[in-house]
Amino acid sequence: MKLSGKTVWITDADSRSGKALLLRLAAEGAALLLGSDSGGSDIAQELAQARRAGARVRVCTVDDCRSAEVARMLDEAEQELGPVDVLIHNRNLVRPISVEHGEEEVFREVMNANAKSAFVCAKEAGRRMTARQAGGRIVFVSSIHAEKPTGMSFAYSASKGAVKMLAREASVVLGRHGIGVYSIEFGPVEGDGDLFRSDLSKLYDLYRYKVPSAVLGTYDDLAELALFLAGDGARYLNGADIRMDGGFLLHYLDFKMKLPTETGGDGG
Amino acid sequence: MTLEGKIALVTGAGTGIGQGVAVELARRKARVAVSYNASDAGARETLRRIEEAGGEGFAVRANVADRDAIRAMVRAVADRFGGIDILVNNAALQLNFNFEHDDDAYDRIMNVNLKGYWQCIQAVVPYMKRHGRGRIINISSVHGKRPTDFDTVYAMSKGGIKMLTRESAIELAKYGITVNAIEPGAVDVGRQGTKETKPFVPPEYAEQAERMRRRNPDIRRKFPVGRSGRPADVASLVCYIASDETDFMTGAAIRLDGGSMLL
Repeated sequence: MKLSGKTVWITDADSRSGKALLLRLAAEGAALLLGSDSGGSDIAQELAQARRAGARVRVCTVDDCRSAEVARMLDEAEQELGPVDVLIHNRNLVRPISVEHGEEEVFREVMNANAKSAFVCAKEAGRRMTARQAGGRIVFVSSIHAEKPTGMSFAYSASKGAVKMLAREASVVLGRHGIGVYSIEFGPVEGDGDLFRSDLSKLYDLYRYKVPSAVLGTYDDLAELALFLAGDGARYLNGADIRMDGGFLLHYLDFKMKLPTETGGDGG
Repeated sequence: MTLEGKIALVTGAGTGIGQGVAVELARRKARVAVSYNASDAGARETLRRIEEAGGEGFAVRANVADRDAIRAMVRAVADRFGGIDILVNNAALQLNFNFEHDDDAYDRIMNVNLKGYWQCIQAVVPYMKRHGRGRIINISSVHGKRPTDFDTVYAMSKGGIKMLTRESAIELAKYGITVNAIEPGAVDVGRQGTKETKPFVPPEYAEQAERMRRRNPDIRRKFPVGRSGRPADVASLVCYIASDETDFMTGAAIRLDGGSMLL
């Protein structure tokens, strides 16, 4: 049990990544504070499973862009679960928005969901970790689009670019108090071809085969890395943005993809 | 390299880097709209220096956090000069709150530094499309890569600008518009301007560099080239990117820091 005695706060536990994270960390003995927009109803099954594994779990619904709400939630949760040792900020809102025609409201929605909430959560968690002087970890679940344009949502990639700098900044400021901060630049997974459909970029055409092994990652892979970062093995890691993409971003256009022969490729 | 016949809009042109950029564009014969918000006196000084350099400019006030204000500004420039060929996004806030911004301070910085850049781009695109070409130059910062340790949200905004630049580059390429970013390191801009932006006005460069060397004999261990940056350094790179010689460059971010990021 790598996380016994630790309390982990995971935001947007309702998401596919959130579910994988909560199950994996519960299995390692962590107590869980879970942000859930559905108030837990979308994750009833996962909650039951986590509790069967012996995890103490508290589910909260807050607007994680509002410092006051987040602060209140953390104060209340501390009574039940003890102070948060690990924050996993996990919020990934993708909405199409073009530079030329985009609406301000969509921009704000995407930026707030992905970047402002990351700042607010990190600030509030960081403040408490700093006061305790017992170290801590902050993990941002980010995206390969912190580096690679999407061609369909500039606000999304800008929000992830902002999170990358937030992680670096926080690693310096909070690192002085023994707190490690990381971002995981994750992707692609099954379904991303539809999610990031673009008229401008062919990035997701046959994307599975742009991963050199031609095997897509899953949110369980993400959860494994988050578990590592939350644990003792990551002691000397700080301020790192870790690209977890199976090598996807290293491909160049469609050069030497490992295509199966029936799709017309030469097998690599 | 002349920019004769080009029309440029520079935001944040009442102070510091923006002022240096506006004056240099005008010196190279572009007609320049000097956009400012808080710095009336600075904008007048920019115009004075433009005229002194034999150039043509006019000042237009706009808060780039406000879309309507941006649109009115861009219309005013187009009405006056007949179009816009070059946009230099430069107006930015830095509040120096480090990791302790309240929610409003966060919004304030992001609304100017990131949303403002985007909305200025959006507003000029129709004019550039009409000409079948355009140059958009985003003044970012080395803090798009390196943490500041003095303003977390400022750094976040610059991280966002990196991706805004890349996304805009691929989206607007079909109109002949290129979008690039410059990432200056420390630029000495004097002490003029609002408290919030801490910008500077370039007095006597050589003298300043010499002063710095005397004060700090170790300057080369901070800036391998032996001095910190000047608005003129940024201005000459802006002029190059704005020229017709850079058709194939888009989505790039050029670090301009005297090598300081390498140390």
